[in-house]
Amino acid sequence: MITVTIDGMQVVLQKPVTILEAARQLGIVIPTLCNHESLEPYGGCRLCLVEIEKTPRLQTACTQYVDDGMVIYTGSQAVIEARRSVLEFLLINHPLDCPVCDKAGQCELQDAVAKYGAPAGRFIEDKRNVPENFEDPLIVRNMQRCISCARCIRMCDGVQGASAICMVNRSGKTRVEPFSGGRFDCEYCGNCLTVCPVGALLSKDNRHAYRPWMIDNTVTSVCPFCGVGCCLNIQIRDNAIVRVVPQGSGVGKSLLCNRGRFGCDVVKSSNRLTSPLIRTGEGLRNVTWDEAIGFVVERLVGIKQRYGGTTIGGIASGRCSNEDNYAFQKFFRSALDSNNIDSAAGLSYGPVRRFLEGAIGRACAANDMERISRSRAVLVIGEDPTSVNPVLGLQIRAASRKGIPVITIGHMPGLRLYQAIKLTARPSAETILLRALVSALKTSTEPAGSNSVLDDALRSVRHVSLKEAESMCGISQRRLDEAIVALVGAKDVSIIIGTHLVRREDGHLNLLMIACLAYLLQGRIFIMSESPNDYGLFDMGCHPYALLGAMPSRTGLGVMEMIDAAVSGGLKALYVMGDDIFSVLPDKEHVKAALSALQLLVVQDSFLTETAGMADVVLPVPFWAEQEGSFTNLESKTRQFGKALQGPGKEGWRIISEISKGLGYYMNYNDAAQVRAEIESTASLQKVGADDERARILCAPSELDYQPHEDDGKIVALVDFPLLGQSPEYGCSPTLKLVTREPYVRLGTTLAGHLSIEDGDEVSVSSDMGTLRLHAVIDADLPGSTVMIPRSTGDKGILTLMKWRMNQVTKCPVFDKTEVVISKIPGNQEP
Amino acid sequence: MAHILLKHIDHPGSRDIGVYMKSGGYRSLEKALAMKRSDIIDEMKHSGLRGRGGAGFSTGVKWSFSTLTPNLPKYLLCNADEGEPGTFKDRPILEENPHLLIEGMIISAYALGAEYGYIYLRREYPAALGILEKAIRDAYKNNLLGRDILGNGIQFQLSVFQGAGAYICGEETALIESMEGQRGQPRIKPPFPVTDGYVGKPTVINNVETLANVPYIIEAGGAAYSKIGSPSCPGPKLFSVSGHVKRPGVYELPMGISLREIIYDHCGGIRDDRALKAVIPGGISTPVLPANNIDCPMDFLNLPRHGSMLGSGAVMVFDETVDMSWVCLRATRFFEHESCGKCTPCREGVGWMAAILARMHAGQGNSGDIELLLNVALNISGNTLCPLGDGAASVVKSFLRHFRREFEEKLERKSCSAERA
Repeated sequence: MITVTIDGMQVVLQKPVTILEAARQLGIVIPTLCNHESLEPYGGCRLCLVEIEKTPRLQTACTQYVDDGMVIYTGSQAVIEARRSVLEFLLINHPLDCPVCDKAGQCELQDAVAKYGAPAGRFIEDKRNVPENFEDPLIVRNMQRCISCARCIRMCDGVQGASAICMVNRSGKTRVEPFSGGRFDCEYCGNCLTVCPVGALLSKDNRHAYRPWMIDNTVTSVCPFCGVGCCLNIQIRDNAIVRVVPQGSGVGKSLLCNRGRFGCDVVKSSNRLTSPLIRTGEGLRNVTWDEAIGFVVERLVGIKQRYGGTTIGGIASGRCSNEDNYAFQKFFRSALDSNNIDSAAGLSYGPVRRFLEGAIGRACAANDMERISRSRAVLVIGEDPTSVNPVLGLQIRAASRKGIPVITIGHMPGLRLYQAIKLTARPSAETILLRALVSALKTSTEPAGSNSVLDDALRSVRHVSLKEAESMCGISQRRLDEAIVALVGAKDVSIIIGTHLVRREDGHLNLLMIACLAYLLQGRIFIMSESPNDYGLFDMGCHPYALLGAMPSRTGLGVMEMIDAAVSGGLKALYVMGDDIFSVLPDKEHVKAALSALQLLVVQDSFLTETAGMADVVLPVPFWAEQEGSFTNLESKTRQFGKALQGPGKEGWRIISEISKGLGYYMNYNDAAQVRAEIESTASLQKVGADDERARILCAPSELDYQPHEDDGKIVALVDFPLLGQSPEYGCSPTLKLVTREPYVRLGTTLAGHLSIEDGDEVSVSSDMGTLRLHAVIDADLPGSTVMIPRSTGDKGILTLMKWRMNQVTKCPVFDKTEVVISKIPGNQEP
Repeated sequence: MAHILLKHIDHPGSRDIGVYMKSGGYRSLEKALAMKRSDIIDEMKHSGLRGRGGAGFSTGVKWSFSTLTPNLPKYLLCNADEGEPGTFKDRPILEENPHLLIEGMIISAYALGAEYGYIYLRREYPAALGILEKAIRDAYKNNLLGRDILGNGIQFQLSVFQGAGAYICGEETALIESMEGQRGQPRIKPPFPVTDGYVGKPTVINNVETLANVPYIIEAGGAAYSKIGSPSCPGPKLFSVSGHVKRPGVYELPMGISLREIIYDHCGGIRDDRALKAVIPGGISTPVLPANNIDCPMDFLNLPRHGSMLGSGAVMVFDETVDMSWVCLRATRFFEHESCGKCTPCREGVGWMAAILARMHAGQGNSGDIELLLNVALNISGNTLCPLGDGAASVVKSFLRHFRREFEEKLERKSCSAERA
């Protein structure tokens, strides 16, 4: 117990805290500038100086911890004078250009000076002159306003882990500069903008656009760009988003990533749909809502009557709210009598979630993200979490910074500086690697409890020695052993699973091995998810194998099966909600053939996508902040987002209930809250616990033996997940376009050397399916025979090169057999 | 007094390990290795040795703090970032007597249980780099450094780390930051380096001269050492004397000797036998003393009684011809240039003081400038993160206290010329 007296008031504390914290508990405000709740104490600005009895000098409240019996004064004459002088010092070189500074009105320096500063200045010399820097496409630097509090640098270095900026020069010439010179060329999280207390770092996007006090409204929302679902506030003026800022609490706290912060301008994209459209001949024409809905109803009734509901398919989306997805599947199952409901998430997220929940238990992935940085070890499998789910990735970086071992399986450039043990197997050899880990762990750990499916699997899986693993995966035994030691010793392991590992030839076995690892380590599971509502999508039952509260009496078709069925004539109508299936499915020609063969293609979306361009009917819906709804994030936390803007179109659930009404099935919802209420009453029926039947599908015992993989020297293309340029909406964000990389192919040093390719060279990448012209990016960490190409929209992405193959167990298209040939395109000879 | 630190310094081969060993070098190490670690630390305490870097903290006490923490490994750093104007006392040791330092470091490392050591050498001593590196190589060859020192199973690995030229890196926590590859800026204390130092491990940092005293203390014993010089601050002290004396240079003299003896007996008096005006007794960061203070004993306790500090023992002598407001400006410009920029009062305030002084010196001063200057200095004092800004402020205050008239003349001259115009 520590008793401290501050300004005559006593506070009793359980443990030593800083004077600043102790004062806060008493409601005493001590002004600060360099201090920030997300950052370590710095003690640089000296604004928080306080007087302590029996201590000769004033001390900084942000760094000084209290001692028992300490008597502190925060308002004595000495303190007031020190504060005033610190503020005077801060102002002598400050331009005092508040009238043209975007920060004015919410500037911490301005507020502090107004409250504690001197009435007049005494500095008559010339001020420091640093020209404003506009070289970066997103961030403006005004180093004349900078007060050298280093909050941006500490954020960039110690929290974001991008280490893109630093202090340069000394004394009064000190300023913040990106390492890369004028441009930041960083992760563009913009978290430096959040912490800058003054107008030194500002977003170029809304520069001089408004004053903070001119904001009409602030709406709490959830980020729509990945499965983390960071809590953010949307600031509105004149029915337009002026800025998106982190809420400071809830998911993500005061952190955002580039998409969340800068991507919101997709709402003003020129690609937005504004009116319902119906196909006439080659074109789409504007129609009224009555006409469009009448048309859909008429055609669906006809197809259902003639061919039956099972010839109608629906593709839902993790980009849509729980309300939309719930209404969608209810409409299909009840009004159309069809269980053909799936989504793009069904290609990889779906099987992972379904089988892991089957094997380990429902809601096994419903874990708190903040626990990652408090684990004893972190195992990351699959793709790079710092680009798929950036704010989750920061938790892994935080863990690593604390000395917690981070073991990675797969290529993760964003964790390059943060992975203790890197296990990058050759393509197709992940299965062997995972088996080797399972083999080693099962001899050294005893799983708690029992699990009939996984116990069986563990018994029958063939032992893979570290030596075998070394020869087949190209990872040294020593490193494998280090990984095993790190995992066995840790009683508290977070396992972060990238879903694309199931899109392999042995995807189902990868999944089984991951389940075994999670079982042996009793790990806390996180499933990476690309869309904001992949978790909710499945909870809502937009899945051919499961529905909300129960299993369907018969399973429906998965997304790939629907495409096949459309080509073969078994599927007559397809209703696509919220996703551009062209940008997620491989083999464009096949998809095009499928969509052309349909009698009816309904697309309900906010954007005129390639898929919408082929539709018979297009139904515009508001995008994200233009309506209210809820998303369930990868931690299984459901959060509502408010309506911030007026947007074109009708809410998805409203359109669906109107169509449903036309088919004679009434869903009477007046607002999203009514849909939510129905979801809540139904969700309580959900089944809990492991489900052997679902899990057993994963493995036939014979497969638990393995075929050795030989490295045949062929080059295989895999999907890359760049941090900048991830989500398909991206193409629509003018701001993010400025920092998105040109289409590229990532290749290892050895391969590049072998092909005489240098970084930045233009190369051609060809497969049986097509050829791409891309820029080469050399990446030392990539194994020799692998290249990686992002799945960007348009004709530049890896989907152009991919063949149509399916893993029969997971129903996922297989991605690891895309053999490619790479050659350098001779450019203009340098003089 | 026989030289201890500058022993054999005039011998042409003084930096050679053979010469050093022939004259009794590394015997103290042998003796120390036969002692218990705690006995060495006790001997240091008995000696009364105070750190020679400037703060004058008891070396034995500092070492005993280090033994309190169980964390390993421990590091021993030698601060050879002698960057303060006027200070060049360590240079003869580094360049002419490197084995004395190395021997001192090995003994210290053994006493502290430190297995790794670095000499943080300022980049402006390029000759010392080669000399130290050769000396370290020779010590390794003679089994004085390495995994099994003199067959005693003791490990100590030593190498030189070159600074990049920042004065602030002589501050121990900034020195550590710099060694870790960070920007050279002081850290918040606590925690102190002795528990959380280099790479977060317990670290003892001592000045070159401090470590060079260690072999003698082991050889002669703490009690004998404590009889040299002032009873409260015993030992020999290196004084680097510069400015208007006839024979500037580095002098090894007993602690407590008066400025008068240093200037007139050892340095031959003031050049051209002019009158003495002022002395900066301990390097540019210590307050200036007017000539009437020169009977003050030079040690850590007596100089503060006269309004200054011993600092590094860099005596800067100014004769009657010197414009003290100009010295003040030069000193302040140095601090402005070297302020690391981390804390507000030092970053902004010292530059402001320099600007006012420059203006006054250029004849552009205003009537209230002296009060303004004093007030700015007052506002810096005590409010900074490390002693750099405090030093700058106290230097300005001392010049204004003792030589205010010279500043006022600057202002009067301006008003005269204004009248004439």
